[in-house]
Amino acid sequence: MSYLEYVIGAYAVFVLVLLWDFVVPRLQIRQQLRAARTRKARAERPTVPLELNR
Amino acid sequence: MNPVVRWFHQLGSPPTFDRFAARWTPWCHGVALVLLGLGMWQALFVVPADYQQGDSFRILYIHVPAAWMSLLVFGLMAFYAAIALVWRIKLCEILAMACAPIGAAFTLITLATGSIWGKPMWGTWWDWDPRLTTELVLLFLYLGVMGLYGAIDDRRAAARAAGLLAIVGVALLPVIRYSVVWWNSLHQGQTIRMFGESSMDASMMLPLWLMVVATKFWFAGSLLARARADNLRRESGRDWVLRQAGAAP
Repeated sequence: MSYLEYVIGAYAVFVLVLLWDFVVPRLQIRQQLRAARTRKARAERPTVPLELNR
Repeated sequence: MNPVVRWFHQLGSPPTFDRFAARWTPWCHGVALVLLGLGMWQALFVVPADYQQGDSFRILYIHVPAAWMSLLVFGLMAFYAAIALVWRIKLCEILAMACAPIGAAFTLITLATGSIWGKPMWGTWWDWDPRLTTELVLLFLYLGVMGLYGAIDDRRAAARAAGLLAIVGVALLPVIRYSVVWWNSLHQGQTIRMFGESSMDASMMLPLWLMVVATKFWFAGSLLARARADNLRRESGRDWVLRQAGAAP
């Protein structure tokens, strides 16, 4: 009457779902901050004139 | 102005909330992890096996706290959504929408662990029992709120529409709670009572309460983290976000 495989399976589901809940918002925050840095870098880049110069 | 009221007003400011969330998320998750570790150690290695269910009853220590959280988070989501609808507080919109994926995660845990427990105890993975069915409907409601929020480009309009769904969905909570009383159910009735005597032996209660408190702290940490992510997304392009990203001069 150990039902060990069921206990392991249930706890594995619990840990995996909490792990997903832990990782996803951190990835989203990192993505937003990286996007902010990229926007800033693009805004600060000197603009190249489009017309040809002799 | 009362300092507490002033602090709440200040917290509604996106940069202040970002700093608050960044500071307190690790603490909430840290406390939750310690309590989860203690609770799971007690549940798996200390508490004796049940004389009828054997070791399978240990699944209860994750199933019950997750089930309670699935209901509590939905109620809280509707509460934030109602405040956001009435007073148009942006932070409440963000918090309401941040509740949805966390509540969905707890509902998924409830259904999956219940199903895993049901196989050896009931002889089936699933039954269209009132408690199980209403809990499944709750998962669909969570997914509906998330889907609606993601489907509309305007964040504020999306939050209002999804918030309305959350408020309407609150009607399901008492149905889930009393489904084992109102209908003949395969699912057992209430055995654990917050107030009053539980029909579970006292020697088995400690890990349960540890897990119950741990899931509350976990939820607080996840709520702050998810709300912070959404807050940053909505405010992208603002100076404070650039400063936060370390890109501003």
